Amino acid sequence: MEGLIVSNVLLWVLLVAVAFVVMGLVRQIGVLHGRLAPAGALMVDKGVAVNEPAPQITASDRHGRPVNFGYAGEKSQLLFFLSPTCPICKSLLPAIKSIAREQAGSLDVVFVSDGDMDAQQALIREHKLEDATYVVGPEVGMTYQIGKLPYAALIDKAGTLRAKGLVNSREHLDSLFEVEHLKHATLQQYLNAQPHTHDHSHGHSH
Amino acid sequence: MHTDPIFIIASAIAIAVLLASAATHKLRAPARFARQLADYQLLPQALLHPTARLVPLLELAIAFALLVPVSRGFAAISAASLLALYAAAIGINLWRGRADIDCGCAGPDQAQPLRPVLLARNSALVLLALVASVAPVARDLNLFDGFVTLAAAAVALLIYAAADGLLANSPLLLKLIGR
Repeated sequence: MEGLIVSNVLLWVLLVAVAFVVMGLVRQIGVLHGRLAPAGALMVDKGVAVNEPAPQITASDRHGRPVNFGYAGEKSQLLFFLSPTCPICKSLLPAIKSIAREQAGSLDVVFVSDGDMDAQQALIREHKLEDATYVVGPEVGMTYQIGKLPYAALIDKAGTLRAKGLVNSREHLDSLFEVEHLKHATLQQYLNAQPHTHDHSHGHSH
Repeated sequence: MHTDPIFIIASAIAIAVLLASAATHKLRAPARFARQLADYQLLPQALLHPTARLVPLLELAIAFALLVPVSRGFAAISAASLLALYAAAIGINLWRGRADIDCGCAGPDQAQPLRPVLLARNSALVLLALVASVAPVARDLNLFDGFVTLAAAAVALLIYAAADGLLANSPLLLKLIGR
């Protein structure tokens, strides 16, 4: 009888533990669902082709100093196209700033915006972008044919456009650099180059 | 009907904790609860706010009464009616085709649309409350009985919480796999 009671107590204790584990698992799944942001729409392919020389243009930043886009230089360039009226752009600014900090030695981050100057000033104050290169004007966006915001383009030292795309999250931003690393212009191209889809006839240098 | 007190007390504790947690969610965010209640479109505008204030207090009162042996039977019947009422509210809105409102069934971070499976969930809870309303067989409870009762109530609540989490996740999962 004693043994049965001990066994019963043990079973209850273990059952409570298992129930805790199951609940924990369910909670974790819930958190994962919350974190799985909808992936960005596939790139609307227009404008400059990736892995081609980026269009060269010079625009003046908000202090009137000239900024060169697409020229060969000492550092790569990350162009971040934003607007003060776009909430997702603002939510990405911390990520952009941290990328700029991490890769300060090899990457120039240029913010490109357009529209009302007072709103720009408010955005700059709010996100402490006073020291950043911040270009206000439609020319750059028109040259690179930016239709959707927030958009980012990565130009390497030689002035070649390495990656571009609509960015909705830190993961999308990081994927731009990953794209450069993998030598595939877009995620779609990378997926098509995987072995299981080799029936597609895409020419890739690997 | 003769039922061992362990079943009855364990169900009573489980339902009591459930109602108490539901009441605290509603008391902590009265505005949200009032909004959910308004979404159900069952009450005239004038009654919305008094009801939104009264429901959590009622839930708390039932939860306490469930823990006291004298009032347990009556409280269990009240709890069953309250849960059946919620099920009816869900059922009416499902029938109206207003399935996309927030159920307001679980905590703040588990907003979920109305689905028929929620009716099944509430029926299970009503059943549990009805078990708690049965008059127990008179017998002395020792320490071990107390332990089994508490453990059973805890397991029931944890499994309920897990099942509820799965229910709340399932619409997100369906969205994810694109249905």
